[in-house]
Amino acid sequence: MSAYPILSVITFLPLAGAAVILLTGQRPARWIALVTTVATLGLSMPLYQAFDKSSGAMQFAESRPWIPAWSVVYGMGVDGISLPFIFLSVVLCVLCVAASWTAIQERPREFYSALLVAETAMIGLFAATNLFLFYVFWEIMIVPMFLLIGVWGGAARIFAAFKFLLFTLAGSLLMLVGLVGLLHTTGTLDFQALTTGTKLNPQLQAWLFIAFTAAFAVKVPMFPVHTWLPDAHTEAPTAGSVILAGILLKMGGYGLLRVALPILPDAVQLFLKPMLALSIIAIVYGAYVTLAQTDVKRLIAYSSISHMGFVTLGIFTLNRAGVEGAILQMINHGIITGALFLCVGMIYERTHTREIADYGGLSKAAPVYSTLLALFCLAAAGFPGLNAFVGEFLIIGGAFRTWAWLGALAVFGVLLGTTYLLWLYYRVVLGELNPGLRGLRLELNAREVITLAPLIFLVLLLGLYPESVLGYLRASVANLLEGR
Amino acid sequence: MTDLILLAPELILVGAALTLILTARHVRRAQPAAVVALVAAVGAAGFGVTVPLQEFAVAFEGIIVRDGYARFFNVVFTANLALVTLLSVRHLNAERVRPAEYHALLLLATTGMMLAGSAVDVLILYLGLELMTLCSYFLVGITRDNPMSNEAAIKYFLLGSFASAVLLYGIALVYGATGATDFAAISAAVSLGQSPLLLAGVALVIGGLGFKIAAAPFHAWAPDAYQGASPPVAAFLAAGSKAAGLAALVRLCLSGFGPEPGMWRGILVALAVLSMTIGSLLAVSQSDMKRLLAYSSIAHAGYALLGLIAGTPEGASATMIYAFIYAFMTLGAFGVLIGLGERAEQLTGFQGLAKTDPRASGFMFLFLLSLTGIPPTAGFAAKFAVILAAVRAGYVALAVVAVLCSVVSAYFYMRVAVLMYMRDPEGEPPQRFPIAVLAALAVAALVTVAGGIFPGGFDGWAAGP
Repeated sequence: MSAYPILSVITFLPLAGAAVILLTGQRPARWIALVTTVATLGLSMPLYQAFDKSSGAMQFAESRPWIPAWSVVYGMGVDGISLPFIFLSVVLCVLCVAASWTAIQERPREFYSALLVAETAMIGLFAATNLFLFYVFWEIMIVPMFLLIGVWGGAARIFAAFKFLLFTLAGSLLMLVGLVGLLHTTGTLDFQALTTGTKLNPQLQAWLFIAFTAAFAVKVPMFPVHTWLPDAHTEAPTAGSVILAGILLKMGGYGLLRVALPILPDAVQLFLKPMLALSIIAIVYGAYVTLAQTDVKRLIAYSSISHMGFVTLGIFTLNRAGVEGAILQMINHGIITGALFLCVGMIYERTHTREIADYGGLSKAAPVYSTLLALFCLAAAGFPGLNAFVGEFLIIGGAFRTWAWLGALAVFGVLLGTTYLLWLYYRVVLGELNPGLRGLRLELNAREVITLAPLIFLVLLLGLYPESVLGYLRASVANLLEGR
Repeated sequence: MTDLILLAPELILVGAALTLILTARHVRRAQPAAVVALVAAVGAAGFGVTVPLQEFAVAFEGIIVRDGYARFFNVVFTANLALVTLLSVRHLNAERVRPAEYHALLLLATTGMMLAGSAVDVLILYLGLELMTLCSYFLVGITRDNPMSNEAAIKYFLLGSFASAVLLYGIALVYGATGATDFAAISAAVSLGQSPLLLAGVALVIGGLGFKIAAAPFHAWAPDAYQGASPPVAAFLAAGSKAAGLAALVRLCLSGFGPEPGMWRGILVALAVLSMTIGSLLAVSQSDMKRLLAYSSIAHAGYALLGLIAGTPEGASATMIYAFIYAFMTLGAFGVLIGLGERAEQLTGFQGLAKTDPRASGFMFLFLLSLTGIPPTAGFAAKFAVILAAVRAGYVALAVVAVLCSVVSAYFYMRVAVLMYMRDPEGEPPQRFPIAVLAALAVAALVTVAGGIFPGGFDGWAAGP
C-alpha cells in the first residue's frame, strides 16, 4: 500500500492532542479535544473506503523493527475484524467529547487529555498486529480509565476505580506471563506468524489459554469476574461509561478472536464447554440481576453483562454465523449501550439522580428524549429492524447449530432482556410525571440531539442494512475459522 | 601506570572527596560542594565511558577489572551520585548539615560501589562494599540534631555490621574450601566439586550481599533507615546500595560460583520470593512515604533477582537493566518527595497534589506507573526483561509470583495516585520545587520514558560479566 502510515497517524494523533491540551490550559481543552477527535474520525475515513473487503489479510500494514532483543516489531494493520472496532472507537470518542461539553466543569484539561490518551490506546490496540504492541496498548488503556472513573466519577468513585484497576491489572498481568511464555516457545509475537506457524503442544496451549483468557474474561466481563463492571460503569462519568461499555469491554472479545481462537485452537476445543456454560450463565444470570436493579446506570451496566454473554456465546460456537454475530453484537452493543449511557447522562445532568423511583412520566415533559430513549431501548431489546436484532439472531442461530439447548437458553435471555428494558422504559418514561421532576427543563437541547444523531443513524443503518458491517467481516472471519 | 588510568574514575571521586575534606572549614553553603561532587560525577562517568575497553583491562594483578559490566554499573553509580547531589541542596542548607563532609561521604560511598562493581576478588569486593556501607552509616546519621536520624543510624549500623560479619565469614569459608580469593580461581575450584564448607560459605556470602540489596529476610534495616535518614540519603541508599549489591552479587555468582549454579540458585529463589511477597504485602499498610518506598525497594530487589536466577547472559543483562531503571525511577519518586518537603513524608501530604501542583503530581504519577510496571514506562521494560529471562530458564512459577505481587504493588502505588488526583487538597499549598530538584526529576523522567519506549537501547551495552 501507500507509504502514508495512516494507522500510526490516527493512533497517535489523539496522543498529540492530549499533549497540546496539557501544554495549553483549562479553557480551550474541550475545543482542542473536539478538533482532535473529529480530525481522527476524518483521517480514518480512507480506511473504510480503500479497504479491500474480499481479502482477509492485514491491510494498510506497517512494520518497523522495535526491540530486536525480544524480536518485537512495531506492527500495525487492520483486517475486517479490527476495522469496525476502530470505526466504533473514533466515533464514540467524538460523542464522548460532545457529551462532556457542559458536564465536565472540574479540571477539563486533565479530563480531555485522559480521554484522548484512552482513544490512542483503543485505536492502537485494534490496529496492533503484534501481541507485544497489543499488550502495551491494553495496559495503557487502564490508566486513563482509572483516572476518568476515580476523578470525575460519582460518590463511590474511588472504590470503583480501585476495583476496576485491580481486576483488570490482575487479568492483564497473567496475560503478560502468557505473552512471555508464547515469546519463549515460538520466538515471535506477530499475530500472523503465530497463527500460521507450527502448532503449539496442547498442554502448553491450555496454560496459555488460561493466562490470556483471564485477561480477556475480566474485560468482557465473563461470569464470575464481572463484579467490577457494575461499580465502574455506575460511578464513571458519562463519557467514561460510554468508553467502558462501548470499547473497553470489546477489547476482551477482540482479544479472544485475535489470540485465543487462531493461536490456541486445541485449548479452545478443550475449554469449549466451560466457556459456553459461563456465557449462558452470564446471559441468564446477568439478565435476572438486571431485573432487580433500582439505579438506571447500574441497570444498564448489568444488562451489559448479559449482552456480552451473547458475544462470548457467539465466539465459542466457532461457526461463521456465531462469530460474525458476535462481532456484530459487539459493535451494536457499543452503539446502543453508548447511546443509553449518553441518554442517562443527559437526564442526570438535569435531575442529579439515578434512582428509577425518582423518575416517571418523562414522556410528558420531554417527548423528544422519550422517543429517542424508546428507540434505543427497543434496539437493545433486539427489536427487528434495529441493529441488535441481527447480531443476536446470528448468534442464536449459531448456538442452535452447536447445541440446540444453548440456543433455547439464549432465547430465554433475549426474553428477559426485553422484559427489563421495557419495564425500565415504563417506569422512567410512561405514567404520570414524577412530582420531584416538576419545574425542571428536561427536554434535550440541540447539542445533545446532535450528539445522539450519529448513533440513531447507526442503529437504523445496521438494523436495516447489516451488510454494511458484515461485508467487512466476511473474508476475515472465514480466514479465522478456516485457519484453525 | 595503566593500572592507575584504569582506576581513573575512582581516583577522580576520591580526589574530589579529599578536596572537600581539606576545604571543609571554608564550605558553608551546599552549592559549591554540590558543584564539586557533580563535576566529579560527570568526570568519572565520562572517563569511564570514553576510555576504550581493552580485551582484558585487568588492574593490580587481577583484582580489579574494567569491562563493559563494570562500566555499565559505573554509569548507574555516578548517575545516582549526581542526582542525589542535585536533590540534596535544599536539605543541606535547611538542616545545616556540613555540606563538604556530606558530599565527601557521598563521593567515597560511590567509590566503594564502583570498586564492588569491578572487583574480581572477593576481598576487594568486600572492601568496596564496606567502604560504601561505612559511609552510608554516617550519611544516615548525619542530621545530628534529629533523634530519628540517630536511631536509624544505630539500627542500620548494628544490623549492617552483623551482615558484614556474615559476609566476611562466608568469604573465609569460601577461601577455606577453595583456597582462593579471586573469582577465576574460585570458579576453577568450584568446578572440581563441592563441599559442605563451600555451600555454607556461599550461603553466608549471599546472605551478606542480600543485606546490601535489602532482600528479605535481610531487609529489616531498610524501612527504619529510610525513614530516619534525610530523604536524599534514603534515595541514595535505595538506588545506590541496591545497584552495588546487585553488581557484586551478579558478578560473584556468575563468574565466581558460575560452574555450579545449583549452589546459589535455590537460595536466590527463596530470597526473590520472600522479597517480592513481603515487600509488596507490607507496603500496603504503610502511611509513611519513605517506609512505603522502602518496602517497595525490598520488592524490587526480588524482581531484580529473577534475571540472575535465570543464570543466563540474557538474565544477567536483565538484572543489570533492572538495577539501572530502578535507580532512576526510585530517585524520581524520592525526588518528588524531597521537592515537596516535610509534608510529603506522610502519604497524606500528597493529598490533592494534582490541584495544587499538577507538575509535581504528573512527575510522581509517571514514577509510580513505572514502579508498578505499566507500559510504556521503563519499569515495564525492566520487569518484562527479568520475567522473560526467568520464563526462558524455566522458572514460570516464579514469574507468576512476580506478576501477582505486581498486582498487590499496584494497590499501594496507585493509592498515592488516588490521594494526588482524587482527593481534595488540605492544609497549606506545597512549596515551590528548587531548580536543582526539577533538573534531577527531568533527568529521571526522561530515562523513565525513553527506557520504556526504546528498551532496545540497552542492547549490547548491558552485557553480563
